[in-house]
Amino acid sequence: MRSKSKKFVVAMLIFAMLGLGIVVNAQDATTTLRIGTTYMIDTLGPGSGYYGYDIRGLFYETLVEAADNNNVEPGLAESWTVSDDGLTWTFKIREGVTFSDGTPLTAADAAWSINWIIENQVVSMVSYLAFVESAEAPDATTLIMNLSEPVSNMISSKLLYVYILPPHIWEGKTAEEIAEFNEPESTIGAGPYHLVEHQPDEYMILEANDNYWRGQPPVDQIIYQQYSTEDALVQALAAGEIDLAKVLPTSGVQTLEQTENVQVIKTTGLNFLQLSMNVSEDGTQPASMRDPQVRLAIDHAIDREQIVTVGYFGLAEPAEILFPPAMAQWRNTDIQIVPFDIAEANRILDEAGYADTDGDGIREDADGNPLEYRLAGPDSDAYYPRILEIISDGLSQIGISALPYTQSTESLTVLQVDYDYDMILWDWGIDADPHFLTSVFTCAEMADGGWNDTGYCNPEYDALFQTQATATSDEQRRDALWKIQQMIFDDRPWIILVYPQAISGYRSDRFTFDPNLPNALLKWGLFTGFSIVQ
Amino acid sequence: MQFDYLLRKVFFAVITLIVVIVFNFFLFRILPGDPVKLLFRNPRLTREAQELIRVQFGLDKPVWLNIERLSAGDIPGALDSQFTAYIHNLLQGKLGISFTNRQDVGEVLSERVWRTVLLVFSGELLAIVMGVVVGLVAAWKRGTAIDSAALFIGLLTWALPTFFLGIILLILARGILPTGGMVTPGLAEEGTLEYWIDVGRHLILPSLTLAVVSASGYMLIMRSSVVEVLSEAYILTAKAKGLSNARILFSHALKNAMLPMITIIALTLGYVVGGAIQVETVFSWPGIGRLIYDSVAKQDYPVLQGAFLLLAVSVILANLTADILYSVFDPRVKVT
Repeated sequence: MRSKSKKFVVAMLIFAMLGLGIVVNAQDATTTLRIGTTYMIDTLGPGSGYYGYDIRGLFYETLVEAADNNNVEPGLAESWTVSDDGLTWTFKIREGVTFSDGTPLTAADAAWSINWIIENQVVSMVSYLAFVESAEAPDATTLIMNLSEPVSNMISSKLLYVYILPPHIWEGKTAEEIAEFNEPESTIGAGPYHLVEHQPDEYMILEANDNYWRGQPPVDQIIYQQYSTEDALVQALAAGEIDLAKVLPTSGVQTLEQTENVQVIKTTGLNFLQLSMNVSEDGTQPASMRDPQVRLAIDHAIDREQIVTVGYFGLAEPAEILFPPAMAQWRNTDIQIVPFDIAEANRILDEAGYADTDGDGIREDADGNPLEYRLAGPDSDAYYPRILEIISDGLSQIGISALPYTQSTESLTVLQVDYDYDMILWDWGIDADPHFLTSVFTCAEMADGGWNDTGYCNPEYDALFQTQATATSDEQRRDALWKIQQMIFDDRPWIILVYPQAISGYRSDRFTFDPNLPNALLKWGLFTGFSIVQ
Repeated sequence: MQFDYLLRKVFFAVITLIVVIVFNFFLFRILPGDPVKLLFRNPRLTREAQELIRVQFGLDKPVWLNIERLSAGDIPGALDSQFTAYIHNLLQGKLGISFTNRQDVGEVLSERVWRTVLLVFSGELLAIVMGVVVGLVAAWKRGTAIDSAALFIGLLTWALPTFFLGIILLILARGILPTGGMVTPGLAEEGTLEYWIDVGRHLILPSLTLAVVSASGYMLIMRSSVVEVLSEAYILTAKAKGLSNARILFSHALKNAMLPMITIIALTLGYVVGGAIQVETVFSWPGIGRLIYDSVAKQDYPVLQGAFLLLAVSVILANLTADILYSVFDPRVKVT
């Protein structure tokens, strides 16, 4: 009798354990959006934090706001004007805005934030204020910024990352204290949500800011949950444990498309797969790699269609041009692409004088050095080796030997910095504004710690880069950027291979999102095309 | 005599610890790559900003000795290095600040260590119970179909990769048990009954995975140990005395067969703190194992150093415990 009742209790306990989650989930009337991610945020404080732009955008407001792709919307600044010489910017600051702790936000706070970032050299934001000398607020709704040189992407890029912060939280802190300040108060801003709870690497709970200037935020609570692997993220979305995953692996698309109540969004975004060619004067590559004709032949011998099919399950587009279609405003549409053509590649190499003199199937240059290259890629994903294999196959048909191998991203970065490689495959995620992407090819970036990964250095290019950086009209900037794309295409320090699709997914039984969500900040997504399914 | 043995063991443990501390520092700095560069491979970080971060973390200093200053005869200046700062901080009980999230490493570790202990301890406990019971039965029934089946299943699970089993279980239990994490965020206040039930639900899959892959190790050792003991003369004597099977097995065989098990269990407990990197990664369990995994990719030296120190200390302590237990259980181990 006694043992029977014991068994009953145990059975009830197990039942309760399994059942409780369901009961509790159904109870509350507050609306919650649960977001799954493999990486949430590095630090809470904006003084030293970089990652988690989606989350930071929910905490802080900026003068202008990123919408989908290239579009920028007014944020704290209702409108703005710039003087003819491009050196004085005047912003009209919105009235009636408050920080999430209730203190009002005026133009004086905006001017204070900008001066504070410059004075304290706040590492996470100071670089966006290059050439800004000072800011002032003559009255509560006017902000004036004084520049030493014109900056062409002030609105389209720079100011998107300069947070307007409450002076009463940050005033009086030393540069070191600013970097170390990671308490929840450091997240106080004028954004639509504020932080309630943070368990590093586990989850974050955000609650709506009832005084938000755009109006009541659409959901009461946002929960971010961090998963270690993308596979787990796919399973969590399929199980309905999360409502949204903004970044999903291509390998999960099939599973999710077959799952009821899951909507998968696929768009071509701001990313591409590219092959870096070592063209450096003091690199360890064979001399033939520096010959543009060899690089042109290699371009002809890459079967991009096969890369799309085998590497991305069809979820990518063949690519040639540095700027992906998502950068339509600046994209050079005149470039004549080179087709996949083995015969043409062979003809180019024959003409350039690379013949197979010793009959081993591999061409040699004039000095008798074989066209043998190292073909490397990251080991962080299964599709890299497959793509390397495709490239290597194509090259073997034009008398070039390229042994594919993968290494950790860290080791590859080290090799690349020293120009100790021949070809490396990389994935790139880029800004909508082309400034950073085009800076990668400048001579200045070859310095220690710079981003020039190929050793490409061309004074003509540098001049074009300078023009686009300081252009005072869009036409002037577009003209320079079109020439830049043509130059990179002709010189081939990079060979652009494909534009992979950005993949997001959400629970359509709970919410609806705008199809442009993968390419925009979550804040934009919450206030555009978002609704709760009743 | 006993005291001598103990003293010697403690002495060796301390020496090991010192070697580990020094090794720990250099291990991560031999790795190629610049942590600042890798951490902030971020388009929005200028060279000036990278330099600032380098200075903030003391990475602008030489690794262990400033040769230039040494040759100039400036001894204190020459010693102003990353290594001396590391030792200095360690003596004060400071493990440093994480490169990535600026949290105190000591705090990060102490927050996570109990979660890992909870996971690995429950998994290993389950594994030990399964291993001992199945191993004992297999040894007693040696040569029969039961023994063969136990061996076959044991070797199969032994060969099964942890992450593979983990992902299979994760997919099978989708919708029934949580797919990852330790708690459902926002569900319950920490420390309440509801909270612990939630943790329990999250614990089932990872600890089961861990138990299945490690049980066979215990089972195989238990089996061979019991088989060996059963062939001893005193078992035959016990049988001749007419003792019951249960009495022979539990009072005579088991007691002696447990000796190698004690070593294995004590050593395993040393690794409990280190966690199970694969299980924690598959199930997004926020423990030490996943911390190490993430920190390796980010070259977060302070966190890695702290985690490895914790690991080393627990392994050394477990070894010491095993040595001491051995001398208690086995009177033969005393002087050597």
